[in-house]
Amino acid sequence: MLFNSIEYLIFLPIVFIIYWLLNPNYKNQNALLLISSYVFYGWWDYRFLSLIIFSSFLDYFVGQRIEITEDQKHKKRWLLVSLCSNLGLLALFKYYNFFADSFAITMAAVGWDVNDLTLNIILPVGISFYTFQTLSYSIDIYRGQIKASRDIIGFFTFVSMFPQLVAGPIERASNLIPQIVSKRHLNATLIKTGLFQIFIGLFRKVAIADNLGVYVDSVYANHEIHNGSTLLVATIFYAFQIYFDFSGYSDIAIGSAKLFGFNFNRNFNFPYFSRTLTEFWRRWHMSLSFWLRDYLYISLGGNRKGIVITYRNLMLTMLLGGLWHGSSWNFVIWGAIHGIFLSLEKYTFSTFKIKTFNSFGYIYTFIVVLIAWVFFRAEDFNTAASILSKWFTLDFGSLFIGNINTFINALMLMLIGLSIDLKVFRSNVALEDYGSKFSTVKLSIIVSVIIIMLCLFYSTTENFIYFQF
Amino acid sequence: MDSKTTSKLLKIVLLSIAISFVIDKVVFFGMNKISDKVMTGQAIGKLNHFLSVKDSVDVLVFGNSRANHHINAEELNPNSFNNGTDGISIAYNSTLINTLDKSIKQLVIVHIDTKNFFDDNYKGTDIRSLKTKYLRNDSITSYLEQSNTISILQNFYYSMNYNGNVLGILKNYLNPSYNYKTYNGYDPLTVSESQEKMRDIVLSKDSEQNCSESLSINPIALDYLKKIKHFSEESSKRFVFVTTPFYNDQCKADNKIFATLMTELGLNYFDYSDLFISENDNSLWKDKTHLSARGAEAFTTYFIQEVKDMY
Repeated sequence: MLFNSIEYLIFLPIVFIIYWLLNPNYKNQNALLLISSYVFYGWWDYRFLSLIIFSSFLDYFVGQRIEITEDQKHKKRWLLVSLCSNLGLLALFKYYNFFADSFAITMAAVGWDVNDLTLNIILPVGISFYTFQTLSYSIDIYRGQIKASRDIIGFFTFVSMFPQLVAGPIERASNLIPQIVSKRHLNATLIKTGLFQIFIGLFRKVAIADNLGVYVDSVYANHEIHNGSTLLVATIFYAFQIYFDFSGYSDIAIGSAKLFGFNFNRNFNFPYFSRTLTEFWRRWHMSLSFWLRDYLYISLGGNRKGIVITYRNLMLTMLLGGLWHGSSWNFVIWGAIHGIFLSLEKYTFSTFKIKTFNSFGYIYTFIVVLIAWVFFRAEDFNTAASILSKWFTLDFGSLFIGNINTFINALMLMLIGLSIDLKVFRSNVALEDYGSKFSTVKLSIIVSVIIIMLCLFYSTTENFIYFQF
Repeated sequence: MDSKTTSKLLKIVLLSIAISFVIDKVVFFGMNKISDKVMTGQAIGKLNHFLSVKDSVDVLVFGNSRANHHINAEELNPNSFNNGTDGISIAYNSTLINTLDKSIKQLVIVHIDTKNFFDDNYKGTDIRSLKTKYLRNDSITSYLEQSNTISILQNFYYSMNYNGNVLGILKNYLNPSYNYKTYNGYDPLTVSESQEKMRDIVLSKDSEQNCSESLSINPIALDYLKKIKHFSEESSKRFVFVTTPFYNDQCKADNKIFATLMTELGLNYFDYSDLFISENDNSLWKDKTHLSARGAEAFTTYFIQEVKDMY
């Protein structure tokens, strides 16, 4: 079920009403959330529910074993069971064909023809997200940071809660489980901030991102006939398309959760207003970047084992972070670009004893991010290389506009989106809390204006970019 | 949730519905006033222009961008109108043809792209391009309602009818792109010197065409075609169906099946998709699916010879 569908417009109020009718029995509320989350997911493909249920069972059981086992070696073994099973499923469904293909190409290069090893495998929606969520649960128990859950319904609800099930935010057990196993309250602040964020999210996704996508798709589909100027504008549009698409999704998820009395962690914090790439990663897809920092970078030794190991860890984290997004070398290159520039920044900061760059840092950061996005968006390496070569050989010319109506719509909506971001950014109030600033009447007017803007500018694209990850 | 929170939530929801309903109607009726005066551009102007001349011209052309750029009906009769519109197909055309006055003698040329008829995914959603006339033109409204492409929300939020078209309408209201009184709907495609290089790259690109595996006719497309046939039988008009040239149409099975279908339906159909296949002249083309102005003139000259007897 998609957030921007009529089904969700009906589903959300029904679940909301029944949920609060069950108040204050939070266990019954959890059972309802669990059932509705499975309905939400099963709407897409009920067969893959078995994977979520398997992961939930596994980590529920393993979590308790890790906790009650006193011997450190045995604890580690149980942790490995969780890691291997979860990552094994992820590898099978997401990366099997990628590695089989890469293996065949490598063998062909040394003169050994390997038969086609790829399988016809469908990528289950959300597998990357809930796998990371369950992994963090087992690791946190192993590290002694949280207690294992003894409430099976509550734990299953933690894994599959519908607002964040298919594209995050990747919630930590330490944040969500305590909320799941306690009575929850809905107050005026949660309603205001939740509704505001849902509607802002819808506007970002359905009006801004989807309209930008029309131009981006048309240019990237025929990249070879376009000059550097057109490809540059299309890539800038893509930078904002992916931002508004994913942050819009996160907004709807966080806002929906608030209506059920849950506080999710923030996932985006105006990433394009960053003066360094380091800062960008503290603002972009925060639930993933902090996950990678806490469970990968730090597990590899972080910055505690000398300068060389630190840079190695940084590069490895970003390469694997890239691969997390998809089974393609382009994502690995995307991660590598970020890894290299993060390492360079780290070196610069430690050498010159500075903490950030001046205002030119905004431009520098955006340029690096933009170049990396080319690899993220392009179909393959050759396409990305061809686009970048047009920029670096200064193959600029007159801009291809295509359908003027589409182009102007996209540009205008992008500017509106940026203006809203700038206003919220300057207010020093998080978008997650912004709705509480308004009176009931003012909020209703804002919601109404957004509804009309959606009516006038919605685009009919049906998918979210991050669903493919 | 306590009663205070419940009442606050209800207040926000009800107020939002009420305020958005009022704004929606203000926007809708305001846009109606403005858009009715717009006669240029594809957001609504060309449709308004068509509706204003449809029963007073002798020749009408229907179809997508290929019809718009390929058929200069003025060569056949100065009193003509080419209603070719970007991105549309048989559902849109069938709906507009059914708005014509049956008693008036006219030649109606309908451009056909056979791939739509063999596309399993074709749902007739091109009819949504007529949504600016939803609830304002009885015939179009009736077709839109039958098509199941109208959102249930559209019956509450009328401004959805202007989705995606607002800026285009406002732009053409404030600054019309051309003088519609001297416009016959035909838009030849000129290729500038700088575009020639890009065009040659496009034409030389050896793109593999994904020919439809399914060679059964899409029932939705067929239904709209039959509506045109039904209309033609009851009217005094003559109908000609035509497929204009492609640069290199590798999928021929669909053309043959479609031609057979048209014969069975008793409709005049001319398939010119391979007309320029032996010409090694890039100047006839803008890209692989669109003729240049020069190509369009060459095609029109040929086409007129074929249909002049019917006119």
